[in-house]
Amino acid sequence: MITLYDFELSGNCYKLRLLMSILDLSYDIVPVDYFPGRENRADWFLRLNPFGQLPVLKDDDLVLADSGAILAYLAKKYDPSGQWFPDDPAVTAEVLRWHGVADGITGSSAAARLALSYGHDYDIPRAQREAHRIFRLMDEHLWFGEKQGRDWLCSPAHPTTADIACFPYVMLSEEGGIARQDYPALRRWTDRVRRVPGFVVMSGIFPAGRALS
Amino acid sequence: MPLSLSDPAWYPIASSDDLPFRHVYQGQLLGRELAVWRADDGNVNVWENRCLHRGVRLSIGINEGQELKCQYHGWRYANRSAGCTYIPAHPADAPARRIENRKYPVREAFGLIWSAANDDQPFAPFEGSEGHNWFALRPMPVAATPDDVVAGLMRLAPDDQPADILPNLAVKLGSAIFFVQPVDADRSVIRGLLPEKPADEITALRHYNEMLSKLRDRLERAAAKKPAPKPLEPTYEKVSVELSTMPDIAVPRGNTLNVVVKRKWQSGDGVIGFELADRDGKHLPTFQPGAHIDVHLPNGLVRQYSITNGPGDLLSYVIGVKQEGASKGGSKVLVETVREGDVLAISEPRNNFPLRRDATRTLLIAGGIGITPLLSMARFLDKSSLPYELHYFVRSGDTVAFQSELEVLHGSVDTHVGLGRELVKAKVTELLGPYQFANHVYICGPGSMLEMVQETATALGWPDEAIHFEYFQNTKPVDASSAFDVELARSAMTLHVPAGKTILETMRDNGLTVASSCEQGACGTCLTGVIEGEVDHQDVYLNKTEKASNTCIMTCVSRAKGERLVLDI
Repeated sequence: MITLYDFELSGNCYKLRLLMSILDLSYDIVPVDYFPGRENRADWFLRLNPFGQLPVLKDDDLVLADSGAILAYLAKKYDPSGQWFPDDPAVTAEVLRWHGVADGITGSSAAARLALSYGHDYDIPRAQREAHRIFRLMDEHLWFGEKQGRDWLCSPAHPTTADIACFPYVMLSEEGGIARQDYPALRRWTDRVRRVPGFVVMSGIFPAGRALS
Repeated sequence: MPLSLSDPAWYPIASSDDLPFRHVYQGQLLGRELAVWRADDGNVNVWENRCLHRGVRLSIGINEGQELKCQYHGWRYANRSAGCTYIPAHPADAPARRIENRKYPVREAFGLIWSAANDDQPFAPFEGSEGHNWFALRPMPVAATPDDVVAGLMRLAPDDQPADILPNLAVKLGSAIFFVQPVDADRSVIRGLLPEKPADEITALRHYNEMLSKLRDRLERAAAKKPAPKPLEPTYEKVSVELSTMPDIAVPRGNTLNVVVKRKWQSGDGVIGFELADRDGKHLPTFQPGAHIDVHLPNGLVRQYSITNGPGDLLSYVIGVKQEGASKGGSKVLVETVREGDVLAISEPRNNFPLRRDATRTLLIAGGIGITPLLSMARFLDKSSLPYELHYFVRSGDTVAFQSELEVLHGSVDTHVGLGRELVKAKVTELLGPYQFANHVYICGPGSMLEMVQETATALGWPDEAIHFEYFQNTKPVDASSAFDVELARSAMTLHVPAGKTILETMRDNGLTVASSCEQGACGTCLTGVIEGEVDHQDVYLNKTEKASNTCIMTCVSRAKGERLVLDI
């Protein structure tokens, strides 16, 4: 039995809801009032995750934290196709590299969003500059990918957990005052992610139109 | 040189590759944000990046192929015209058809999309553009003034081969040309073109990308040390009040437009298709599913025909004309004397048969030529991936019109051939089923069939507002034997309507200008409010609830039951 300790407006929690929806897994949700209740600092939550961060996932007796780690766990355990977190060592390295970039996006785009919308005390201009630096690199990577016939962040011909890990806080960047106008390839990639079968929405992340069949 | 909001020069605003199907590109030119999208017919639209409803960015909308849908509230805008085709709050025709988003001129050439702030200058290819197979480089956004970016590009030239400066912020370096898109006073995009596709595309693209990245970094470091210029401040014009509010009474007849008969063909036994296009190849006005046009015939008659087109398909209107009706004057002229190449006057599209797009179940029932408005509806629902069932009742297999158009639809489309009256009724009963919330049925066909479906639906518990129908003509005999007075409340006149004359004719005889179209109680144009008096309804336009409400009248056929009617006119 899977239980997700979840905050609806958290992009990191949404990553897990998104993958579990794609993998068609059923799970329970325990809502955690991250804002404004700060319930992630409550004793009962810190006993689950001493780092005080969402999301936390329980699978029977196993308790896991960190969205990237949980994505890898869910894919390795529940994805019979083996596509979402491939076994090939080189691809694993690629995926983990983008999980690292996803943490950078959280530390910049999500930080700006938390500062602007949730009153967190972060250096907003600095977070925005860092997000733009990452988005520039991603746009370049994705633009050359398109030219070389690659639609996703990693080299396989299908999406991986890397795409899920990076996606939410790219989509939510406007809430942190970070426009995506200068990143057309990044914007096209978000359309592709939003067309993955099983895609679900969250507040601020809309579906894309149907692709031309 | 300071940038001007009204600079009429054409600048590249995107690469062709930036516009895959079903994507909306977000651009900007001279401070104005743009929503740029390619429709499924290949046409590129460059619009102001604001939904007219609440100013939400259209670049987060959904490109449905022929329409762009704003995700926030569901407003839709058509390919080519940018005309609004749907306002969820009021699905009726007015005023959506007349609201157009702000559009900018557009040209696709040399692997780039070009636009300008206004239509003042025609597009002209750049000097030396002829005779090459231009290849677009990766665009490079730079947070620096367009002038500084041009100067920076000039400095890339080796001393012995100085760069050429071209008009409109362009620089020629060797054989490559770099255009600087003035995004805003402080922002630019460098868009490079090579005269031919390089042998090793990726290596060439990487080379120029690296070169331009380094230039960008230098320019941005320099820009950070200078005071930033004030961004341009475009104004976003609001939609005028008369366009954004619902008129009380039917829209008066607009101007007619001349169209040429581009194609005339037999579409199924007994139905002639006509394709009507603008004489200069421009797009025609936006229409909604279910809309019709008035066609002014050579013999002076005016007849209504439904537009069968799908969404955003505005380069011509296709109508279907039943040959059998040819004995009845109007269609006879059209079928027998109008040829390809002839010019006809038509009205702007009007819609008395609006389609809701918030239904959980949409059932379309067509009889014979009644397929025409329902074909258009099915095409709209199809493009929006909304579920629908289309049932087409025909006398024999040969009488199926628009067969090939029906075959490409993705919804559930069934043709029922040669069923007798009782079997049709049984089938309709089965199709309708008991009414459920948010179900809607649309019916178009012969009068007897319309009445049968309405009665069947009512018996199954369907409320009037869920039953939508359109009569092509009123075949009921009109009883004009009564005589009575009409008081025109707003005009402060009292007129006597004698037997044998309609209210409409009487008003006209007394110098009033009143809108009308079919003059047989079928089209809804002369709909007028009733303040007092009991109406003798003889039209087929109003539904039962509307008739029972005694608050409106079709002045072309209906009359008073008593001695006096007070009208809101």
